[in-house]
Amino acid sequence: MSAQREEKKLVTITIDGKECKGKYGDTILKIARANGIYIPTMCYLSKVEPIASCRMCVVEVEGVEGMILSCQEKAVDGSVVRTTSKDLYLQRQNIMKLYNVNHPLECGVCDKSGECELQNKTLEFGISQQNFTAREVHKKVENWGFVSYDPALCIMCEKCVRVSNEITGNEALQISVGGYRSTIVNVKNSTCPSLGESAAVCPVGALVSSDFKYSSNAWELKRIPASCAHCSSACSLNYEVKNDKIYRVTNDFEFSSLCGAGRFGFDFENRNAVKDPEIFKEAISAFKRANTISFSAIITNEEALILQKLKEKYKYKLVCDEAYGYQQFLKAYGSITGETLYSGNLNSIKESSAVIVFGSRINDDNPMVKYHITMASKRNRARVAYLHPMEDSNISNIVTQFIKYEVGSEEGVAALLANTFLSSREISPELKSFLDNLDIGNISAESSVGEEELMALLKSIDKKEKLTFVVGSDLYNHPRAKEIAKLLGAIDKYSDFSFVIVPPATNALGVSLICSLDEKAEGYTVGYNSKGDFELSSLGDGDMDMPALNQQEGTLTNIDKRVVPTNAALSYNGYVLNDIANELGLKAEYTIDYTTHLPEKAGFKPENFDNLPSYFDNSGIEHRGYLLTSKSVKAAEDFDDIEELPTFDGAIVYNCNENINMNIFTNVTKAFKSDETYLKGSPQFAGIVKLNDGDEITFSANGTKYKRVFKIDESMKGTIALNPIFDMGLNASLNNSYRFSRLNREQ
Amino acid sequence: MAHIEEHKETHTVQKEKQNYVMLDLGKTPKFGMPAFIQVVKRSLSLELLKGLGVTFREMINALFKGKMHTTKYPFEKLPISPRYRAIHEMLRLLESGHYRCIGCGLCEKICISNCIAMETRYDENQRKEVSQYTINFGRCIFCGYCAEVCPELAIVHGGRYENASEQRAGFSLFEDMLTPIDKLKEQKEFAGFGSISPNADENIKKTPLAY
Repeated sequence: MSAQREEKKLVTITIDGKECKGKYGDTILKIARANGIYIPTMCYLSKVEPIASCRMCVVEVEGVEGMILSCQEKAVDGSVVRTTSKDLYLQRQNIMKLYNVNHPLECGVCDKSGECELQNKTLEFGISQQNFTAREVHKKVENWGFVSYDPALCIMCEKCVRVSNEITGNEALQISVGGYRSTIVNVKNSTCPSLGESAAVCPVGALVSSDFKYSSNAWELKRIPASCAHCSSACSLNYEVKNDKIYRVTNDFEFSSLCGAGRFGFDFENRNAVKDPEIFKEAISAFKRANTISFSAIITNEEALILQKLKEKYKYKLVCDEAYGYQQFLKAYGSITGETLYSGNLNSIKESSAVIVFGSRINDDNPMVKYHITMASKRNRARVAYLHPMEDSNISNIVTQFIKYEVGSEEGVAALLANTFLSSREISPELKSFLDNLDIGNISAESSVGEEELMALLKSIDKKEKLTFVVGSDLYNHPRAKEIAKLLGAIDKYSDFSFVIVPPATNALGVSLICSLDEKAEGYTVGYNSKGDFELSSLGDGDMDMPALNQQEGTLTNIDKRVVPTNAALSYNGYVLNDIANELGLKAEYTIDYTTHLPEKAGFKPENFDNLPSYFDNSGIEHRGYLLTSKSVKAAEDFDDIEELPTFDGAIVYNCNENINMNIFTNVTKAFKSDETYLKGSPQFAGIVKLNDGDEITFSANGTKYKRVFKIDESMKGTIALNPIFDMGLNASLNNSYRFSRLNREQ
Repeated sequence: MAHIEEHKETHTVQKEKQNYVMLDLGKTPKFGMPAFIQVVKRSLSLELLKGLGVTFREMINALFKGKMHTTKYPFEKLPISPRYRAIHEMLRLLESGHYRCIGCGLCEKICISNCIAMETRYDENQRKEVSQYTINFGRCIFCGYCAEVCPELAIVHGGRYENASEQRAGFSLFEDMLTPIDKLKEQKEFAGFGSISPNADENIKKTPLAY
């Protein structure tokens, strides 16, 4: 209790004569920055723990002898701090001189020139002469795939190492200590795109993007603030543009992160769209004829609203395979919790001391969630329980308990979890009778989740303060999704877990809140980024062109339940959905005129698009768009008895886009475009299916035919193979079915 | 105020130094008859022939004594001052013959009429290579900033001032401005800003006014 009270306490310190307030436990530097006071740093990165390698942030504190590192020293109430003095200046000047020892004078060609911390600080401290020398050693430039490393330029600030360990969890980078010969080493020889995150924080030109290297000077590029279009995290990013071409993606790396897809998969624009009145007429007649509009959830809120309004006007069936299951899941979940939205967000994952991940191969499904789990694991030593039918070697470094369950037994697992967490709590009589009726032994045997595993799980989260439960997209299209949602809702309601129900596609949350979706398409179908009789496509392969998400402005609803604005980075000369809507009787000059009309009933606010902010302030608080408000709905508890758990024998395929190639849009980018799509399985899987590495295989799963090349992955176990679906283009029936299916081999 | 007073002072100094003398030119006739008399007087004293004589003498000098006062442009051109700013030249390194430009982009940045466009890339030798470089001579005002800012003395102004053509694009590509590799030996080093022409001494004339 006392610890909690202390936590809330405010401290007041005087910095350079200015009274500054901060939270107990904040460092001097953090308080100074939040109050707009400048303290120079070289190695400090707000989003990781203090590194304290540069010693630039020294300050003087009254009554304390010597200089103090403001980046790691916690502020003591009432202390008086000076950030500038002659001694401090000389100290910082000397540090800068040391950083400049043998630093190659290649600013003229260096990528970082113009945005280089070393350049800036060297000028700031007026380094006009060098008093230090060292014998230069030859250091070779290394190519690590998406990034390349030039040790000669490296100032050993350690930021990249920290990011790779603390945030991306890749743990590939380490420091090879050797005084002046120290370098960063890639211990895993990783070529993973998440190294881009490390490159982003490099204050000099040592770690840079291989693709961008030497292609443009930083000052020639125009920054377009936007939101990432690839997954439901919709991270904030800047498209950097010159001559109507995106050269690179940057972000506010002090406070936010990007995964590889966001950072390198930026060139998915629909390039050669033109306005063709003939095709437009065809589109209008297709819309007039249509019974169904089928669309992908990778669209803006405004477009979703246009489609909803068209539905109201023309009585269309509105089908969105990616969002429908999610919408139903949220609805069933809300029927227990009494809220339209889930309770947690990415930040609550980061701050939690125990995380449970259920029903998602989270490393591949949503890298940002995985980054936040990594942060929780590294900083709070959080317990991470990973419940899934397949072990994932990529996250074995953060997972403390892996609980394997049988494919298809999710409902049973949810019931077991509810029983484990809630049986000792005060619960409603309906839930109590449901839990009492459970045949624990049977479910446990069928799902192969042992009672002792659950007891260990319960014990591990005992006395932990902040708990988060991450729910993934294996469950949304499960045949028993509703029941699972209800059980998870009960856990949310009666326990201390905050829930994050990860939206399965970029704007699945927005679509599920804005549109009233139908389950099945009927009759003549217009497809928007989806299969149909008349296809509107942002990939440029349909009957009519549509702008991709980097060519249009609008808002997205992300996993944080935040409505975030995105802007057009590239020009687009074709028609947009709003043109069609205007022709069909709606009226709006621009698509963003709909931003104010987003349904308030679903929690949106009547904000004008142009008034939506998009920045992080000095203290790291996100000011992007606005947060949705959760509305209360009628809660009624009724639980169905558990159905007999299905059994999946033999070879099973799991639809999962691996390695950051997340969707059909990343698959057209230069960085991720793959010519061959592999079905990846363990040696055991190969044995069952009688396949060798490199064999071609044709199979059908859930009614869709796939042609794949088989690849054995030694790190995998079991009889489940990973089947990527990013190359299936506008093919619909993939996302509305359960992600696991039996392999039906065709000859 | 101070600088105005200073200015006044120098003005008075100049007044003291200069001793202008009014020449006695007589009176200009104001009526018809005196004016007619003046014309007759001047004609009869052969002033016209004196003038023609000067012309004839100069013609003889030009044609036979090689003292021509004009040049036969475009067959003949006057030497141009090294500080003259005409179409740019891209110089090469004398030792290796490789072009000097490192693609730093400073010329592109400093250009006030925004007429330089360049693209660079990472080449096979891990160096920054200029893949595209053009100057839009329709917009260039020949201010010389690009040459001044260039850290490698790679881009300089040349003496090619004849840029009338159907399309100026013809001499705006990197390759057009680059010293031809076989003429590397003739490549002249840029003398630098404020440099004077080689025949500067000859061109200096004494001025009658004591400034």
